[in-house]
Amino acid sequence: MADLVQLLVSGCATGAVYALAAMGFVLLWQTSGTINFAQGEFVMLPAFAMLAGLALGLPLPLAFLASLVVAALVLGAAFKRVVVDPLVRAGVLPLVVATLGLSLAAKHAVRVGFSAEAQPFPQIFPEGVWNVLGVRVSAADVGTLLVAGALLAALHLFITRTLFGRSMQACAQNPDAARVLGIDVAGMILATFVINALLAACAALLVTPVWFARFDMGEAIGLKAFFAAIIGGFNQMRGALLGGILLGVLENLAAAYLSAQYKDGVALALFVLVILFRPEGLLGRAEERKV
Amino acid sequence: MPEPVLEFTDVVAGYGALTILNGFSAEIAAGRVTTLIGANGAGKSTVFKTLFGLAEMRAGEIRLDGEPVGGLAPRALLARGVAYVPQGRNLFPTLSVEENLELGGVTLAAAVRRARMARVLERFPRLAERRAQQASTLSGGEQKTLEIGRALLGEPRVLLVDEPSIGLSPKLAREVFATLRGLADAGGVTVLMVEQNVKSGLAASHRAIALEGGRAVLEAPADAILAHPRIRSVFLGGHVAQTVSGRAAGGA
Ligand SMILES: Nc1ncnc2c1ncn2[C@@H]1O[C@H](COP(=O)(O)OP(=O)(O)OP(=O)(O)O)[C@@H](O)[C@H]1O
Ligand SMILES: [Mg+2]
Repeated sequence: MADLVQLLVSGCATGAVYALAAMGFVLLWQTSGTINFAQGEFVMLPAFAMLAGLALGLPLPLAFLASLVVAALVLGAAFKRVVVDPLVRAGVLPLVVATLGLSLAAKHAVRVGFSAEAQPFPQIFPEGVWNVLGVRVSAADVGTLLVAGALLAALHLFITRTLFGRSMQACAQNPDAARVLGIDVAGMILATFVINALLAACAALLVTPVWFARFDMGEAIGLKAFFAAIIGGFNQMRGALLGGILLGVLENLAAAYLSAQYKDGVALALFVLVILFRPEGLLGRAEERKV
Repeated sequence: MPEPVLEFTDVVAGYGALTILNGFSAEIAAGRVTTLIGANGAGKSTVFKTLFGLAEMRAGEIRLDGEPVGGLAPRALLARGVAYVPQGRNLFPTLSVEENLELGGVTLAAAVRRARMARVLERFPRLAERRAQQASTLSGGEQKTLEIGRALLGEPRVLLVDEPSIGLSPKLAREVFATLRGLADAGGVTVLMVEQNVKSGLAASHRAIALEGGRAVLEAPADAILAHPRIRSVFLGGHVAQTVSGRAAGGA
């Protein structure tokens, strides 16, 4: 029982990080029709940006802030301008190909230009294990869960409780109607790209101490973000949250009770089941688009 | 006839390689309800879309109070007092009635927006009762009312409404028309609407403009058109130019 609780906590922590990446994924899709297959590299690159900052002698908090700025500019604004804007009119497929290409290019650039080896990364939470009512939970899991949960809650509040956030929803649901009301549709779309980049950089801060910085560290999280979005319902933010948490927890349970080898198959299995039996996703509705 | 507030002069406009408006000229009288009629595809909606930059204007001029406004962004048009309710569904389905309404005032200061929202909700009690409900759960008539109410948040002097009665029962359609007519009669708002439902649409209008082949082929008082059985039958048939132009111009 205590074991189970421990597995659930650490599964939720991992799942919340998946959800961060999946939310950004869904946001981009909803406001601009972009399916970003480089989402994993959007997590990997800020990890290396932080390492570069550390190498320059910055303390981690400053390196993190710098990586947020770089991510917003490069993975947010420049990505939209240079990659998405010219291609988005041509439909979904060219962008899929372009982001796949971008993903490969980013991985190889880091491998060749930096290193193929895993780079150690400072811990952001105290090491050690707490004993809460007989349940042993690691401080890192609790910290990750709290930080990711706070970010997800903040994002939710921003999107539902502010006029800016609701304007973003409006642009996703009916861009023509939004434009006619004087809403700056292009600006709102840019905002979603910046938010996506910031979420990815936050995910990088949370996972890199555990996974280490490696050129291919984004592969798993990119794939899981995509699966989480599909599983939960591609057109719903709540879906991305549910999908992410579900994946994190089930992976952990599979690794503990079946075999560690099954861990990575869980996402795929769940994905296939959803596609077969509920293609709109667990929370998705066939027609509506919702941020 | 009152001063024209909005003037279209030889407007040529379209989409990409398509030219839809081909020398469209019309004067829209201030404080009146004017209805654009014409067959499907005649270019009625394109008139509105050209003003709001959703179709490309290639030649001609659109003036508001004598000032050229062609090519202005929606924000600038709203600031000059022009609001637009496009054809079809224009709500944000998962947002509440109140949140939809609020988005009609994104260009306003928060205090002004709140005050005007209260006024619109007061004017449309059915919306006020449903203010927390998701917009997608409203009936068709309530949805159109909300779209119109949302456009009123900018307190427009000129209101463009594209097919307000589509999908509504005759009774609800008459209610919507009465609202629009009331805006003109009591509020001095200039209403320019497109309507397929010619009979009841014109009954609520002061003037009508018939469009064919991307031009205005007829401009006349609405009742003159309504009273003219030949013209009425012509509109049902969809061919205006050969039969009507010139003949009813005497009524203009
Ligand atoms: N965005 C667009 N791109 C290309 N062609 C368009 C576009 N919008 C409209 N058209 C074409 O322009 C023509 C006129 O369309 P418009 O919507 O102005 O007609 P309408 O008179 O409003 O018709 P309806 O009564 O059916 O609403 C049609 O042939 C239509 O196919
Ligand atoms: Mg139309």
